[in-house]
Amino acid sequence: MLGEIFEVVWVSLLAGIGITTAYSFAVLGMGRSSEARRAGHGVAAVGYGLFTLLFLIVFALGVLIALKIMLTKA
Amino acid sequence: MHSDAVLWIVVATAIVFDFTNGFHDTANAIATSVSTRALSPRFAVAMAAGLNFVGAFLSLAVAATIAKGIVDAASITLLTVFAGLVGAIAWNLVTWYFGLPSSSSHALIGGMVGATLVSEGSSAVLWTGLVDKVAIPALVAPVLAMLAAGLAILVSYRIVGRQSPGVVTRGFRLGQLASSALFSLSHGTNDAQKTMGIIFLALVANGNMSASEDIPTWVIVSSASAIALGTYFGGWRIIRTMGSKIIKMDPAQGFAAQSAGAAVILSASHVGFPLSTTHVMSGAIMGAGAAKRLSAVRWGVAGNIVVAWILTLPCSAAVGAITYGLVRIFGGGSTGPVVVAILLVIALAAFVIRRATPVPAESPS
Repeated sequence: MLGEIFEVVWVSLLAGIGITTAYSFAVLGMGRSSEARRAGHGVAAVGYGLFTLLFLIVFALGVLIALKIMLTKA
Repeated sequence: MHSDAVLWIVVATAIVFDFTNGFHDTANAIATSVSTRALSPRFAVAMAAGLNFVGAFLSLAVAATIAKGIVDAASITLLTVFAGLVGAIAWNLVTWYFGLPSSSSHALIGGMVGATLVSEGSSAVLWTGLVDKVAIPALVAPVLAMLAAGLAILVSYRIVGRQSPGVVTRGFRLGQLASSALFSLSHGTNDAQKTMGIIFLALVANGNMSASEDIPTWVIVSSASAIALGTYFGGWRIIRTMGSKIIKMDPAQGFAAQSAGAAVILSASHVGFPLSTTHVMSGAIMGAGAAKRLSAVRWGVAGNIVVAWILTLPCSAAVGAITYGLVRIFGGGSTGPVVVAILLVIALAAFVIRRATPVPAESPS
């Protein structure tokens, strides 16, 4: 019982903070990318766009793991 | 096959419980998204209903018995299941009326425990199971969700703090679409299973099926439909409490609360530790608010919610016990359940009439 609680605590904290952090970085990238585009810095806009994409992929992976847990629970 | 009338009353009551479960728990999935205007109320309930319906078909890992490990399985009869369901439905309706988010699972467990106490005595209740499956999770869930959501929003503010509010708002509203959808799907895979388990148990107990058979399609379809319909009707009083009465939240807080809440529920699901979705989401919302500013949380509202959580088990147990006692007055046949079912229908009719009373368009009942 204690082992289960401990596992739930650390996995929850890691996943909850991790997924929010990943998505926050994606939002940050979106903002910076549009700022750079408006300022005419094409290369920076593309760079921030890729940064956004990377963190959206991390977020999507989190969603996929969640779906897998949902579908395989005992 | 000794009592088909009682069996069908139990099945109908289980479907009604499933409806109130969906109705009561809509808030868990959509309250934060509606209050931050990430989703329109109509779209949010339609999406949540659709995904609850789909979710009910995705996972058929039904717990073979309800209240497993909490009451002695040998003591469960159609009448105790019926009385337990009535206790749970009554508590769901009372907490909806007062706009208080409370656990439908705990209400069902309470109803079953109350009915079992009257029918078999206290020896048939597994008290350590009650502590392990209800008391400890009820303490862990909100605290853990509070902590996860609180830390998540602090990190998030640190990352996006210097961005223009427009971009941040739009970005997190988009994220809330995904987190709400995930939550609704998860609810369907979890809660519709309870009703399927109850109906299956009733069919087995009545001799219509054997425990080794698959769950009939009509049971799956009716459980999925009832929870989806309940979700679509939406318990707006509870949605208002969770969405705007505990804290006034921004889209980043809404996203952090939903993501942290989903992480807590799914990691608990993964190790088989039973947490209430309602406790987790309420805790996560409080955490997302308190991390910004302690005074941002309306602690009076939070206190009322905690009182409702504490009262869930004893109150639903009391209604379960009274219902069982009432049913037994009429003997072991179908008269008792029929009388109680008629009383229940009258109560539900009053509930529907109250819902039909015109209210302002922006604040449905």
